[in-house]
Amino acid sequence: MHGRPRKAYKPEEEAASAAKAAKLRGLQSQFMANHHNKIYTKEAVDLSTKLLEINPEAYTAWNYRKLAVEDKLSRIESDPDLVKTILDEELRVVESALKQNFKSYGAWHHRKWVLSKGHSSVGNELRLLDQFQKLDTRNFHAWNYRRFVVELTKRSEQDELEYTDDMIGSDFSNYSAWHNRSVLLSSLLARKADGFLPNKKIPDEYKLVQNAIFTDEDDQSGWFYHLWLLDQTVNVETPLLTSSWPSHGSRISLYAGCSNGSFSKLTTFGSESGSFPLVLYFDQAVGGVSSSTVTIDSELKGNEDLVWEPVSKKNSQVSCVWVARLKYISSEPCFGKEYKVKVRVGNSPGIVSSRGFNFSASYEFVFTAHVHDTVEESSQEGIVSWTDGFDIWDAESKDLNALATLDRSNAQMDSKWRQEAIAEEIDLFRELPDSKIGKLTLARLLMAKAMISDDAVKGVHYNEILELYKDLMALDSSHYQYYKDEHSVALLRKVTSSTEDLSGHLFRCRNMNNSVCLRLNNLSLSRIASVEKLLFVQMLDLSHNELHSTEGLEAMQLLSCLNLSRNRIRSFSALDSLRHLKQLRVLDVSHNHIGEHSVDTTRYLCSSPLSNSEWPQDEVGSQMPSLATKYWDAYFVLRDLNLKQLDITGNVIAGDEFSSFVLQVVPKLVWLDGKKLEI
Amino acid sequence: MEELPSITVSQREQFLVENDVFGMYSYFDTSDIATQKFMVEIQRDKQLDYLMNGLRQLGPSFSSLDANRPWVCYWIIHSIALLGESVDDDLENNAIDFLGRCQGSDGGYGGGPGQLPHLATSYAAVNTLVTLGGEKAFSSINREQMACFLRRMKDTNGGFRMHNMGEIDVRACYTAISIASILNIVDDELTRGLGDYILSCQTYEGGIGGEPGSEAHGGYTYCGLATMILINEVDRLNLDSLMNWVVHRQGVEMGFQGRTNKLVDGCYTFWQAAPCVLLQRFFSSQDMAPHGSSSHMSQGTDEDHEEHAHDEDDLEDSDEDDSDEDSDEDSGNGHQVHHTSTYIDRRIQPVFDSLGLQRYVLLCSKVADGGFRDKLRKPRDFYHTCYCLSGLSVAQHAFSKDEDTPPLTRDILGGYANHLEPVHLLHNVVMDRYNEAIEFFHREA
Repeated sequence: MHGRPRKAYKPEEEAASAAKAAKLRGLQSQFMANHHNKIYTKEAVDLSTKLLEINPEAYTAWNYRKLAVEDKLSRIESDPDLVKTILDEELRVVESALKQNFKSYGAWHHRKWVLSKGHSSVGNELRLLDQFQKLDTRNFHAWNYRRFVVELTKRSEQDELEYTDDMIGSDFSNYSAWHNRSVLLSSLLARKADGFLPNKKIPDEYKLVQNAIFTDEDDQSGWFYHLWLLDQTVNVETPLLTSSWPSHGSRISLYAGCSNGSFSKLTTFGSESGSFPLVLYFDQAVGGVSSSTVTIDSELKGNEDLVWEPVSKKNSQVSCVWVARLKYISSEPCFGKEYKVKVRVGNSPGIVSSRGFNFSASYEFVFTAHVHDTVEESSQEGIVSWTDGFDIWDAESKDLNALATLDRSNAQMDSKWRQEAIAEEIDLFRELPDSKIGKLTLARLLMAKAMISDDAVKGVHYNEILELYKDLMALDSSHYQYYKDEHSVALLRKVTSSTEDLSGHLFRCRNMNNSVCLRLNNLSLSRIASVEKLLFVQMLDLSHNELHSTEGLEAMQLLSCLNLSRNRIRSFSALDSLRHLKQLRVLDVSHNHIGEHSVDTTRYLCSSPLSNSEWPQDEVGSQMPSLATKYWDAYFVLRDLNLKQLDITGNVIAGDEFSSFVLQVVPKLVWLDGKKLEI
Repeated sequence: MEELPSITVSQREQFLVENDVFGMYSYFDTSDIATQKFMVEIQRDKQLDYLMNGLRQLGPSFSSLDANRPWVCYWIIHSIALLGESVDDDLENNAIDFLGRCQGSDGGYGGGPGQLPHLATSYAAVNTLVTLGGEKAFSSINREQMACFLRRMKDTNGGFRMHNMGEIDVRACYTAISIASILNIVDDELTRGLGDYILSCQTYEGGIGGEPGSEAHGGYTYCGLATMILINEVDRLNLDSLMNWVVHRQGVEMGFQGRTNKLVDGCYTFWQAAPCVLLQRFFSSQDMAPHGSSSHMSQGTDEDHEEHAHDEDDLEDSDEDDSDEDSDEDSGNGHQVHHTSTYIDRRIQPVFDSLGLQRYVLLCSKVADGGFRDKLRKPRDFYHTCYCLSGLSVAQHAFSKDEDTPPLTRDILGGYANHLEPVHLLHNVVMDRYNEAIEFFHREA
């Protein structure tokens, strides 16, 4: 009923309409009686025809007809002629109902039902569709029905593609035709149909859509199709391993417990549990990472059956990020030695993207783990400062290469035609006079180009992209936040695009074992991106930005100190992703907006009985039910963290009551708001 | 494809609409203040007259002519509630009685007495009864039978069927889950595979179509998104592209269109603006943790937080979109403005042009004599009245981070005289009525 204009009646028409209504009411009650008494005589069925021709939305009558047809069919001896007569009558009724209202769900559905009874003559259906599609070229019921008929009759997708050629040719504003084209082409390209190789077909499609865009740049249809093409140009279906920690060829230094050693070129890592995370980052969410799909070859004992866990919200079994914990302290003493660890991803098939594509090419990487025997007793736990004791990164050194392989070129990707296609589009859009959509498309094209091109030219692209989004923010304030987020993503891509750029933001923290510290403060970031390139970071300073949430940081499994001071965090729920960071000890969320208003997410995230099970029957929950209820969002996050130092000052929620709550939930806390706690 | 024609039908139609809309806007801009004030006024009395009249015309016994009477009830009664009014006892009893007769013996509501139970009309009936409120309305719904009906409509592909032997689509999924969620009868069986079905309807554009393979569409996008939020699987959608799609459905006319390259239509004020706000809230608060939170739990904390003294430090880094926060203009209309700074921090910049949208609705969709319409030159109807008003309410509250925060005068085109009740974005019923209903149905469980 949406969007179907109802006529406003003039007074003189009202009498006529009342008469009509009375007649309809009579029909309706007669029909109901027939329906409830299961009367399927010719007269009774004719009556439902009359009713439907007046009111095609009477879905009960459509169902009645289905029952009547079944009834009739059961009485005849599958005489094909009789069957045809019965079903033809149904098609006729549908057709005349559609003439009354061609947006009737019930009528279209009834026709599908008749066809799926095996009664079909393609020619007829397509002829009828032609009629309706000429009347309303955007009628989505008709398009849906068309796709249904095509599938049922196995009409070739090439023929259908030609039909979209015609439709677009006569009206290039018809987005429904463009949409159908994308659906058909996706399928043809995916099964590599004859003449449909991406490197040939996609450049042709660019030419087609350019025609529409440049004829009238205000027409939206072409732009969306263009966006789809860009996706086809950039995206590779097969999932790839983007990065890992430790990365290929890197050396890591492992301790038992905490240590004060100084190994400037290495990532030093200590943990009380005697294990370290092995992180795999894929370019799309995948499932099926396990000890059989990923094998480890090393002398480190006890790692034969690693447990791989997806780092994802909730209990999803697919994720871009997977982590396993490798033991480096076993019963046998094995200190003071170097171990090579060989990881083979995709050893046996089973890693599958959420869209169903297999991780095909297996990939192997090797790193060296240096296990130290200096077991230091838990050193005195000083406060971690974000201002003192940092050494500037030596940009000349090759340290960074030992920590992370920054660019894994997608070598197996047949990238030449992709680069050419994108480069051609960029040239074209640079010439298009300034329009919002033109700028946005150019920014997206450049982003795509930066993703698949060499290091050397990347920086230039990012600068141009950043300028474009700045322009857009000024030009189109109604979509400000969207451009702002895109700007943040581009900025982070730029920062992480080259060793030079990145090392400008890197530091070593002397007091923290020379931990690697990344400072991305004061960049007006509203969103986090590019974490796949930052897996080695142990201290992260994001203070003085505009972040609303920590989403994305969950991949940074080495993170032990995080500074989120002076951002726009509004609740502890926004910090939920931190629950995945098992190493996190120091967290600064001072001067945010936590507690300024109730975080009643049920206002739009309705609670359901499904989710009630988790609500606390644990210690703190039962000891302090009122505080746990009051601060439930803090409770759910803090109880899973293992913090030693927390800064919360400068938030509305901060205060004596909250502090005492925190002490209960985080018993190991040593520093709160810069003050040492008396234990 | 050889030569493209210079101007297509869609372009001509678009041009004509723009002409009408901009004509209206320039007339407005050149009018004097008093005329302008009159033009943007919602005309409460006229609206109520139109709605009440409609309700009465349904006849004393709500005769069952066509197949969507419960919808007409919902469109009208919800609109009245948005205007902050309610219907008198007679009408209320009449409506409860009528809907009771639409309720099938095996659960669910049909389009009229005796008609097959249907998910869409069940949704309309439940939302109407929630909006009417009160024990009598609530307890007239047979929850157990409704749960059975919903289970019968569940298909093995994860989606729902509109009615017995009916079509499967995203509308059916939404209406089923919205009902189940309000009545507190969601279970594993109902949600199984549902997220997968909705996912298969998201198109490359980012919006959601009615069924797999369909073109993205505003109404279905709302339905699909709300469903995914209600079953707690929203992060499985491609939210970036969804956000991108939906914000760009607002065009130069300032109203929303329903699909790419279609004409603006007032009803999409709700279907598109609500997803904008839902997505923005999702992004800005990352609602992952609160498994097990129920509305009662946090309700108690609302007042407590209000009493917190405002922290000086936050003034410096308050959102830059509030830099224009000069003294609150026009605070003398009875609306209490407490400490201004509390508002600053409870405010966000919507991802769509809220005032522009309100302008479209009030100048182009509103009919001076009451009622709302698709666009200029079109007749009014109850469907458009309901969704224009609902969308207007969403737009007015889009600057607030939560429904507890009343909008500022400047957020509401036409000022507080035009203020509408806030709605629950996932069910589109007025917030207060939702809270009352939720409490009732949680007690029932």
